[in-house]
This record gives sequence, structure tokens and C-alpha cells, in this order.
Amino acid sequence: MPSDAIRAALLKRLRISSGISEDDVKEIEALPIVVRQFPAETPVVRDGERATDCCLIAEGFCVRSKTIASGKRQILSIHIPGEIPDLMSLFLHVMDHELSTLTPSTLGFISHETLQKLHRRSPGIAEMFWRDTLIDAAMFREWIVNVGQRPAPARLAHVMVELRERLKLIGRAEGNSFEMPLTQEQIGEALGITAVHANRIIKQLRQEGIVELQRGRVTVLDERKLLELADFDDRYLHQSPTL
Amino acid sequence: MPRYHFDIHENSRVIPDEEGQDLAGESDAHKEAVMTGASIARDAFVSGSAQRVVVDVSEDGAPVLKVSITLEVEKA
Repeated sequence: MPSDAIRAALLKRLRISSGISEDDVKEIEALPIVVRQFPAETPVVRDGERATDCCLIAEGFCVRSKTIASGKRQILSIHIPGEIPDLMSLFLHVMDHELSTLTPSTLGFISHETLQKLHRRSPGIAEMFWRDTLIDAAMFREWIVNVGQRPAPARLAHVMVELRERLKLIGRAEGNSFEMPLTQEQIGEALGITAVHANRIIKQLRQEGIVELQRGRVTVLDERKLLELADFDDRYLHQSPTL
Repeated sequence: MPRYHFDIHENSRVIPDEEGQDLAGESDAHKEAVMTGASIARDAFVSGSAQRVVVDVSEDGAPVLKVSITLEVEKA
């Protein structure tokens, strides 16, 4: 992958969601990034590990998760190209959860030292990264509400709509279909239900003519019903810097 | 690993499990069935869509176990 393609999704997202200045675009274009390929379902940074870089997703899907003593895993968030899911490791050095790939991924590693210097040099970028981290926290709040309060079919609908809105920002949700490369087991881990229950609600949403999830791709069958079921209000994504 | 199928009954409606799940053995299938039944029952009972949830587990077409959960409300 050419080095500008590594940054393409990140810059696309920052242009829309943070209104990045052209000077700061140049700073990001000049960042030294070490590119590594990861296979599917592979840890990138483990819980308890001391991180020395932050990781930019250039291609692929990742998740952050935490595993409890019994071995059960909770998926905390899903990440897409253009995101830096472990940006907090810049200040919180020891990982308190795991970052792993869902699909084969191209990841760009930026050293903490480089990022710290960039922060000090460019207040615009520091603000942008701070904003990104706050939006991250807003998404976690929504995730707690989702898993804690909504019935399982609505949880799935909500996660689907959120993922689509984020994919739209980087131009990856055209028409009525988009990628959601999670297995039934992983959907269960995200929603706090078993794989069998996940299978049951995927079928239910298809039978009710709302959405179809097949081979890692969602096709929306009825937009109005989907939004109603998801109880979705996009305010928490703060996708526009002017709002 | 054996492949278990978990058919779900909500009242008289049956949702067959065509794909099945690979699990280490019967005790894992038991756990999966209880957890699945409990979480489906939670949604069904709260929304009122069903009062009885059954998870019917089979392996290769042969029955393995059945978990039944029924909502009973007794008014004073």
C-alpha cells in the first residue's frame, strides 16, 4: 500500500468531522508510519501490554474487547479504516483492554514519541485528537445504553446503523449495503448474548423485512423500520465540527 | 468438535437452527442452551411476545437436551 493510501481514510474523516487545516494535513502527511499486515482475528495490543505506538487502521476492521475470568469476551467497540483505536495509549501506557483484528488488516504504527512531539508542535492536531478521544467516550456511553437497556434485536439494529454512519464518513457505505464482518459469535460478544441468540435475531430481522446480514455484509431492506427499531439518534457521533 | 443445533420455540413458533454451533461437548451445549433460553426469554417475557421459551438441542438429528422456561404470573 502506498504511503498516502495509509493516511487516506484518516484525512478523509478528519476533513469532515474536525475541519482539519491544510497545515495540519501536511503534518499528518509527513508522519513516519510503519506499516504491518495482520491476519484476521489476531491481537494487535494485548490487555496488560505496554504500548509504544498508536495504531492507525488503513484497511480492515478491528475490535476492542475485554475478557473476564471465565473466558467470556465482551466486544467494546468496532473500528474501521481511518480510526486510531488505541490513541489513549499515548497517555495511558499500559493497556486495560485488547485491540485485535476482525479481518485481515493493514495497520500503520506511529510511535508515541512522534505523536507527543506533534502534539506539542501543533495545537490544532492536539485539539483534533482530543476531540476524537471524547467522541470515542461518547460512543462507549451509547454502547453501555445499548447493551444495558435495549432488547437484543434493537441492540443489533443500533450497532448496524452506527457502523453504517461511520462508514459513510469515509465513503464506504454506498447505496443500501455496507460491510459488517462479524461472525454470529462476535455479534453475540458485542451485544452480550450467545451466538445462538445472535443467530435468532439475525433471522428475525430478515423475516421482518428490516435488514439482511449475509457473509459479513448488511443489506437494508426497510430503512424506516431499521431506524425505528434501532432508536438511533446520531448526535453522539458528533460527525460535524460545527454542531 | 461435535456440531450442535439449537432449535428455538417461542410459544408455538419454531425457529430452526440450520447452521448449528461447534462446541467442545455436551456440558458446553447445556450452558449455551440455558444462557440462550434465558436471554431470549428475557426479551420475549418483557415484550409479551411469548410466555414459554424452549431450546431444543440436537446433534446429528439426535436429541441431546431440552431447556424450557415458562413465565408464570400469579395475581393475588
